[in-house]
Amino acid sequence: MTRNAMMDEWYPVGLVSQLDAHGRSTALMGEPIEVKRGDDGTATVARSDGRHLPVCIRYGHVWSSLGDPQKPLFAIPEADQPGRRLVDVGVVRVRCSPLRAVENFLDIAHFPFVHTDILGSEPHTEVQNYKVEIREDEDEVWATQVRFYQPQAAKSAEGGITTEYMYRVPAPTCSILYKTCPPRPGEWDVITLFVQPLAEDLCDVWPWMALFDDETPMTDLIHFQQTIFVQDRSILENQIPGLLPLDPGMEIPTRADLTSVAYRRWLKRHGYTYGAQLVAQ
Amino acid sequence: MPAQSPAGRVALWRGRSGRVSAFADRCPHRGMRLSHGFVRGETLSCIYHGWGYAQAGNCVRIPAHPALTPPETVRVATQHVEDGGGIIWISAGEPTGGPPRFEGLAPVRSMTVEAGIVALEEATGTSIAGGLLDYTNADTSVRLLLAPESPARTLMHVLIDEDSNPDERITASRAAEALRRAAEHIERGGTGR
Repeated sequence: MTRNAMMDEWYPVGLVSQLDAHGRSTALMGEPIEVKRGDDGTATVARSDGRHLPVCIRYGHVWSSLGDPQKPLFAIPEADQPGRRLVDVGVVRVRCSPLRAVENFLDIAHFPFVHTDILGSEPHTEVQNYKVEIREDEDEVWATQVRFYQPQAAKSAEGGITTEYMYRVPAPTCSILYKTCPPRPGEWDVITLFVQPLAEDLCDVWPWMALFDDETPMTDLIHFQQTIFVQDRSILENQIPGLLPLDPGMEIPTRADLTSVAYRRWLKRHGYTYGAQLVAQ
Repeated sequence: MPAQSPAGRVALWRGRSGRVSAFADRCPHRGMRLSHGFVRGETLSCIYHGWGYAQAGNCVRIPAHPALTPPETVRVATQHVEDGGGIIWISAGEPTGGPPRFEGLAPVRSMTVEAGIVALEEATGTSIAGGLLDYTNADTSVRLLLAPESPARTLMHVLIDEDSNPDERITASRAAEALRRAAEHIERGGTGR
């Protein structure tokens, strides 16, 4: 059996703001791990046998890996831009493949049906053509020029607007969404989905945001995103098969699904198959 | 609503005309369970992306592409359904005749019992005859139509004399609940009555 390529990736395992000496017992790809603040104040992540794992602190989260990460965690330059509010949304436990969670995040066609009257509404269901590419230099999946009509695109949005999006997949279980920023035309709000694979069919989803919004109370920002992700959970826990099918034949994509098609192709090319199903049943 | 058949899980739904259909409980687009969907007119739509399916199982609407006529190849498997005497019947293959009729009986309610048919027979003290299991509790007699969903789970349809009045129907419903408790007790390893 070949070594799973996803072993050497970084994964979120907790919020830096909630790190304490008591620790958090969690798991990474089936391995029980303990995340806590060590005696010297730095974060430690250890397996149950006491062996320490690599640690990285970034974007509000503690990141770790069961393997040996060959490169630093992906960059989000906007995270360091002055004037942004950084929002730790918290965690949503979902009984689904971590890859299904990311794919759902990349999908806009479900907005009118799953996030009705928030991110979409009938009859505004059409998905216009957009651009998708696998950027070879960065080794990332990108979707650009994505446009969709939204009744309430963000907590700071008044009334319906056509929102423009860009999506980025820099790691198999992480995606970054760039979205029209109502109070600051010309800038993009950043909404991320960091997924911690607990098992092939179980994950903790850690959304995180870097927004230009000085008005909305933090609680409201968090509630807005949590509402969205809980709506997504009702879908993610009821898809068959539970694992993401990487081979064609099991599911039928359309033009609106080109981001998902590229994401699946990119996963397969790299052997990122933890949470995937390779042979159509 | 979700239902179980020997061919797997089905999404059972009724169009505005009253006609009942049974679909394989999976949207071919992204695998979402169709039993979570919504009915408009004579179309069942998936709750994930709104893909709509006509009673024959063919896709008639893809909301992300309103101008597109969905290809004939996009369809869900359907099963033959008949509505007979207040009971909805699904046929896993091609039926050779109509569903059984239980003359003089009317359905009261259906309930899921976490027990197999053997435990239900033990709880009633009788055996299935003519497709039905008889159960008498105090002065109330009900007749049960059983559809096994797994070795330890049964969908139980409760039938009574069609001339029963509302009070008798309520009493029959409670009798069936008592039977369910008894059968589940036996299934968990308890002894019979």
